[in-house]
Amino acid sequence: MQILKNKTNIDFISKRKPALFLSTVLNLAIIVGIAAFGFNFGVDFAGGTVVEVKFDHPITAQEVRERADKGGLPDVSVQNIGSADENSFLLRMGGVTQLNEESGARGQAALEALGGVRNVYSDLANGIIRFRAAQPMDSDAVKKAVESAGIGVQEVRDLGEAQGGAGYDYQVVASGMADRVFAALNAGLEKPDFEQRRVDYVGPQVGKQLRNRGIMALLYSMIAILIYVAFRFDFKFGPGALVAMVHDVIMVSGYYLVSRREFNLTAIAALLTVVGYSVNDTIVIYDRIREDMAKFQGKPFIEVINIAINDTLGRTILTSGTTALSLIGLLIFGVGEIFDFAMAMLVGIVVGVYSTIYIASPLTIWLDERAAAKEARQRASGDVDHQQPNAA
Amino acid sequence: MDRGWWWKFGLIVAVTLGSIWFLIPTYYSLVVLDRDQRNNLAVLEERMPSWAPPAKYRLNLGLDLQGGIHMVMRVDTKTALQKRTERRAQQIVNYVNDKKLGEVTADTDPEQLEVTLTAKDPATMDAIQKEVLATFTDFTEVSRSGGTLVLVQDETQANFFREEAVDQAMLVIRRRIDKWGVAEVDVRKLGSDSIQISLPGRSNAEQAKELVGTTAQLEFRMVDDTNPQFFAQLLQATPPPEGSNITLTTEGGFPQLQAPTREAIIQYTKDKVPENRVVLTECIANPVKKDECTSYRSYLLDKSVPLTGESLAGADASISQLNEPEVNISFDPAGAREFERLTEAGVGRRMAIVLDDNVQTAPNINEKISGGSARITMGRMGGRTFEEWLGEAQTLALVLKAGALPAPVTVGEIRQVGASLGDELIRKGGLAAVLGLGLVVLFMALYYKGSGLIADVALLLNGLLILAGLAFFNATLTLPGIAGFVLTLGVAVDANVLINERIREELGHGKSTRAAVDQGYDRAFWTIFDSHVTALISAFVLFFTGTGPVRGFATTLIIGLLASLFTSITVTRVIMTYFVHGRNAKVVSV
Repeated sequence: MQILKNKTNIDFISKRKPALFLSTVLNLAIIVGIAAFGFNFGVDFAGGTVVEVKFDHPITAQEVRERADKGGLPDVSVQNIGSADENSFLLRMGGVTQLNEESGARGQAALEALGGVRNVYSDLANGIIRFRAAQPMDSDAVKKAVESAGIGVQEVRDLGEAQGGAGYDYQVVASGMADRVFAALNAGLEKPDFEQRRVDYVGPQVGKQLRNRGIMALLYSMIAILIYVAFRFDFKFGPGALVAMVHDVIMVSGYYLVSRREFNLTAIAALLTVVGYSVNDTIVIYDRIREDMAKFQGKPFIEVINIAINDTLGRTILTSGTTALSLIGLLIFGVGEIFDFAMAMLVGIVVGVYSTIYIASPLTIWLDERAAAKEARQRASGDVDHQQPNAA
Repeated sequence: MDRGWWWKFGLIVAVTLGSIWFLIPTYYSLVVLDRDQRNNLAVLEERMPSWAPPAKYRLNLGLDLQGGIHMVMRVDTKTALQKRTERRAQQIVNYVNDKKLGEVTADTDPEQLEVTLTAKDPATMDAIQKEVLATFTDFTEVSRSGGTLVLVQDETQANFFREEAVDQAMLVIRRRIDKWGVAEVDVRKLGSDSIQISLPGRSNAEQAKELVGTTAQLEFRMVDDTNPQFFAQLLQATPPPEGSNITLTTEGGFPQLQAPTREAIIQYTKDKVPENRVVLTECIANPVKKDECTSYRSYLLDKSVPLTGESLAGADASISQLNEPEVNISFDPAGAREFERLTEAGVGRRMAIVLDDNVQTAPNINEKISGGSARITMGRMGGRTFEEWLGEAQTLALVLKAGALPAPVTVGEIRQVGASLGDELIRKGGLAAVLGLGLVVLFMALYYKGSGLIADVALLLNGLLILAGLAFFNATLTLPGIAGFVLTLGVAVDANVLINERIREELGHGKSTRAAVDQGYDRAFWTIFDSHVTALISAFVLFFTGTGPVRGFATTLIIGLLASLFTSITVTRVIMTYFVHGRNAKVVSV
């Protein structure tokens, strides 16, 4: 069996200008889209709490939302996961602790009512209320006061006397959201009709850290691959491979942008894998171009590239096809981020093939033409003033 | 068949058998044992045949697959450092007053970690500056104008302090988790200011957060030395319950109960303790793995807590003039008074230092100690090396500091997965892998026939190698790891597509079968090598930057890509050569 029985002789390269135009427009559109709408960041990067629950009876997302609302949690996003008969839902909240602007203000009032308390500061990012008291305070009294304001308290920390007898410093650590969620869903029930399956909680600072690390990882990996390509191949292949990689990363980001699926750590893993994989196609063709350049000496570079692309077309389709085939299981059985991972990889495989033919190769041609033109110019100038007889 | 071929063939057989052998603990752990016994290495070791590899080489399931809690705690070193600067400022003022160098006031700038000293009489400042800089070496001078001196925390000292704060927090968390009896915990440092904790099998995230997130409680309690034979008499009067393994030991210099678990002692002594007394335990550390307790010993202590860590100003390990390690502790003024009273009343008795209900040490009070500083000597060297001896002093100092200067710990990340969800993910992940793999295998066999089947054999061996590799490196299989497994096999088969397409092409050029196969492998090799290297580069970057499940993905990818270089090139070539050279097949079906 053979996919391409007869040798193809498609003139890919002649269509490089419209293709390049299309890619540029698409890429710019995605970048503008990211700037305008942003990704739908998951808790990994945005911080917050995600809770997964599975009910033991059919229930709609709307009903779950109403329950949470009734239980005192108005800002919860509820999302069905898996097939409808699984009755599984993801509940997502922005806050990570029970301390927010509004409850923090109530907590502050309650603390100030205790007397001798000043400099109350609600650190929303860490879910901590800090304050200074004129006299040593009783931890239980502090806890009771804050809890009366509707903030669950995990701990009251005594930081000791401030310098120079300015007072006594305390921290009140608020409890997490997950407990509130379960309590809200449970409200009015004798025993819970759902199972707590998963809790993901990421503090906002950690989220920021993870996001920065993800971006750095992408950069490092691109640079490392580029160094390798430049080292293994002619240096003129480097820019083409780089632009193709950037193109693929942007296109796969486009999947997350348009589908509004959660952009999280797994998405970064998908992007990195696409970077490593998409350059593979480029290498297969570069290898062939190099081989054919030796074989067809004297033929124009454009033609050599066209031959190389045509010769490798069968295997390009096959290698991408087999990898795509292996992803089918993940697309069918994968839930949530694993499905997204498989989908992003699929997009990456397709655009990887495209970018090799229409981005990496034309760029190499363009660079080659420029180098040739420069050489010609140098030779011409050398002829005129005879100062560089050995130029070029 | 030349010698080289036989060597390679032997290698392949050995690798295959070795991988299967290495998966025996995994098979027993996941299939034979009940799920709650899965992580019990002792049971696993017992159930496996004697010729199996050690039980620790089993494939770990990530917390996302077996259920459990993964958490990252951030140590707020900034706040701790700011508090320290304030405290040091106060100490400088006290020092200047004590030495009668003049009268100064101190202002601190917590953001910059700066202390501004202002002398009442600017003329005294020269002497003050000289003395203070010589004594408080953790500060360096920023500027001086007239009677005003600005000092800043020395950066190396501050970094050292930050590091120490994280170590303290880690120590406290380890001991706490140990107290709760959670098996198979993993506590490790993550970056410069975070601690990562894995609690397999735990399901209550809020409880876990409280367990590790609350501040350490350091207490000083008097040991009840009026009743030294208490435990001996108790053991005589009531025999301990069967299986509790409680014994009497006098290794600590007086009769104590000893048991392998803390609960055994607490349960046994419950309701048998005299009024106003309490029984607490000391962890006897494993001489090799310091953070594990081999056994616990009991102490009878006063119920009242006269002194807590809040009164402690500092603790440092040092080496005395007699060349023995010791820990120097100092109290704040109120603490110093209380400490003086306690030591005066308790000469000849012992004072226990208790952190989170664990007795750390119980030194003898030799004399009344006034002035707020004391030395704790570390007993005889005994069978220890000097480094171990000194190490114990350093650990004690760390414990004391952990109780004295708590760097606030906040939760950075919690990820909890219920056991039932884990099971479902394993099932779905397995189905996805089998389906993906099956489709690829089927396609290769249909499309390339004979050589496709050869590639399939290599592919299955690759899958086997990945699992064995994960087991060998004690890596963890996570849900993204399963995705990585599937993807790696998809990429691995690419190599065989490249080779087979190349062989077809060479055959098309009219080459002989033998020449076409040889050329196909030789020409495709570097292409395959290059593509594996680039994929490995991103996998390694992901490994070093990722955490948790994503890191599991990277591990699987790395092992899979390395295995693929072996299986899709060497293994298929050996089989192919067998057919082409050995059996002299004229036609190779590609």
